[in-house]
Amino acid sequence: MKITQQTSENTLTLTLDGELDASSSVLLDTELSQPDILNNKKVLIDCQRLNYISSAGLGVFISHLQRFQDAGVKLAFFNMQEKVHNVFEILGLDSLMTIVPSEAEAVAL
Amino acid sequence: MPQTQPLKSLALPLALVSWVALLLTTLLRANPTLLAVQLPAWLTLLAQGVFVGSVFLHQRYQPDPLRGTDFVGVLRRLIMGPGLLASICVGLHLLERLLQFQLGIADRTLFAIIYTLNLGLFVLFLAHTCYTWRSLVLFRASPTVHKQWAWFEVLLGSTLLLRLVNLQLPLLAAGIILGALGVFGAYLSSHQRWVAYLNRRQKWEVILLQLGVLLALGVFTIYFLRIRHDPQLVAPQPQHAFLLLTVFFAAFYALMGLLVTLFNLPTAGVFEQKREEIMTMQRLTQQIQRGQSEVEIYTSFFDAARQTVNAEAAWLRINSLEGEPYSRLEVVTEAQSLAMEGLLKDYNISGIEYLNNDLPSSSGFRALDLPFGSLLVLPLRSAKHTYGDLYLLRQTRQGFDRESLSMLQTFASQTILSIENLRLLQDSIQNERYKEELKIASSVQESLIPKTLPTDNWFEISSHALAAKEVGGDFYDFLHLPGKGLAILIGDVSGKGITAAFHMAQMKGIFHALMQENPLAKDEKERFPLPSKFMAMANRALVHCLERSSFITATLYIVEYESGGFVFARAGHCHTLYYHSLKEEVAFFRSAGLGLGIIRNETYDKYIKNQFYDYNPGDVMVIYTDGIVEARNAEQEEYGEERLRQMLEKTYYLQADEIKEAILEDLGEFSYGQPIHDDQTLLVIKFKTAQPGTHP
Repeated sequence: MKITQQTSENTLTLTLDGELDASSSVLLDTELSQPDILNNKKVLIDCQRLNYISSAGLGVFISHLQRFQDAGVKLAFFNMQEKVHNVFEILGLDSLMTIVPSEAEAVAL
Repeated sequence: MPQTQPLKSLALPLALVSWVALLLTTLLRANPTLLAVQLPAWLTLLAQGVFVGSVFLHQRYQPDPLRGTDFVGVLRRLIMGPGLLASICVGLHLLERLLQFQLGIADRTLFAIIYTLNLGLFVLFLAHTCYTWRSLVLFRASPTVHKQWAWFEVLLGSTLLLRLVNLQLPLLAAGIILGALGVFGAYLSSHQRWVAYLNRRQKWEVILLQLGVLLALGVFTIYFLRIRHDPQLVAPQPQHAFLLLTVFFAAFYALMGLLVTLFNLPTAGVFEQKREEIMTMQRLTQQIQRGQSEVEIYTSFFDAARQTVNAEAAWLRINSLEGEPYSRLEVVTEAQSLAMEGLLKDYNISGIEYLNNDLPSSSGFRALDLPFGSLLVLPLRSAKHTYGDLYLLRQTRQGFDRESLSMLQTFASQTILSIENLRLLQDSIQNERYKEELKIASSVQESLIPKTLPTDNWFEISSHALAAKEVGGDFYDFLHLPGKGLAILIGDVSGKGITAAFHMAQMKGIFHALMQENPLAKDEKERFPLPSKFMAMANRALVHCLERSSFITATLYIVEYESGGFVFARAGHCHTLYYHSLKEEVAFFRSAGLGLGIIRNETYDKYIKNQFYDYNPGDVMVIYTDGIVEARNAEQEEYGEERLRQMLEKTYYLQADEIKEAILEDLGEFSYGQPIHDDQTLLVIKFKTAQPGTHP
């Protein structure tokens, strides 16, 4: 799992590369736990290279969801692969989190 | 050697008898008036020769006086035993002689007795000295030296015989023989290997003891030389030659030993340091086995290294000690150490072994203005890991040598070995703990899954549950609802191990608590909670015990036999696969529904829906967890919903058991050789035509 960051105009984009399982979800949690992340207006997650997400990985997003909402930070996913999207959908997270097809749409949010 | 046995046991009595004979003949010679005939000189010589020979022989067969490497003890026993005794006697005799001279009394008989007594004691002392020297000469000596010593003994003995027969050799020949024997003795005296084993204090002690031996020998020599020309002397001349030769050897060896020890004194410190290094090494090694903490190991290493090279100042910088950096400073300040580290970094020589024995000549170190002349940097490194660096400082230039560097390297590798051993040990303890935890978790999981399946005439149920190595959180349960039907719950708790097992148990508790008949129910519908209601209540209950990143997916089905229908609600769990016998169609119930514990307020109710369905005989319901559809093959592809759907299409007409087996077989073929990542649970329910009169 590789996580790269990119910041522009109050927007933080995290690119996830690889499999988000129990061990790599710790890395993601560290990234999302940083206090200054709440200074952004939007946190966008690029899922183009995210091949797999485990329940531990989902748990990381779930645990930060409320915190982001309270701080008024929008969380959005884009470029999500079919099977990863399926996992979000089965769990019902698609009704709770913003998942858009492309980066352009994510930026436009 | 058996043939030496009689000689051995004869030596002591022979010595006694011959000494008495010697005394008698001397007395007779002193008082010639007692006997008519003049006793021949050879008789005295014979008695004396036999006495000396048997004393030496007796001493020869005594056990080696040297025990282990107790050199000081050997010398002390020599001085305190025969040495002291003989010297006192000689001293007394000299005193008596002095008195006699002063008073003018000359009693030849008393003189003869004391002389013979002294001679006996002196021979005893000489024998002791010779054989003490022998054991010192032969200490770790080569077989050649052993042979040479034997020759020396034979030669020394033969001079004794030579004197016995009173053979008058020409002066030159006698001189050559005695000189050659003296040289041989001197050569043997050069074997002083034992001196190297003494420490400084022992060397001083040995020097004093050897001085004592020399003093005793000196006293004897003076005595015998003086007495040689004494008019009262009754002993024949030749015996002195043998005695003097032996004295010469004994004294020479003692003198050589004294000098060797004396010249070895300055090196005693070096030997002691080497020994100290070995001892430190041993201590370090022992500390590994005691299962100490890393800090303790580093501390021992630090102290050992400092002591070994006599460093005036030192510091140790460890990058990661159980996650934390660790450093230890001695004499230097943090600022000084950081300045030096910075300098080394600038020179691009940090993290490698570095020895600078002339700091003041380097401008960088001169600029720091530190009172040190030598610096040694030793990295603590293994093939995989860099632990840190040790810095040692000495005030003098040329403070460190290659020798101590190699010793320190050994220390360092020993330390790394200890640290790695310790970490391995801790890991294995941790692993053991995990294993234990997993054992508990899997036994909890085992106990939570129902052992017996509900049997009924309305449907068939077949179940399969396989736990992955790391216990996950799949669970299912059944509950008979009196007068209504059957409740089936399937779920998956996020997380693994004992926490997952704990949440499973909670979920099971919630299921059994909420699926109770409501005694206040006004109508049939309210007797048991609807699945959506159940999920909402379960969500509310779980909020208090699930941690923020955990959630549970579940589906609850309530099957009603009377109406031939079922109602279910899906809380984020895998879609149910269904075969519709009338439409002859296999499809997933694709309904919305959010996992439990994701939303922790009342809005959760909005995300959960009931779905009603009327079933027909022959319908098949396949309930499973994500471990089934996410099982992978060698190409890392997932088994997937579609493949599962196709399997049911092929097998819907079989019995529930057979359908389950077919699916598992296909799954096994698909993921052949791959480890099971997640728990796999599969329930197959097949509805049958109701058989009247047999339903509960």
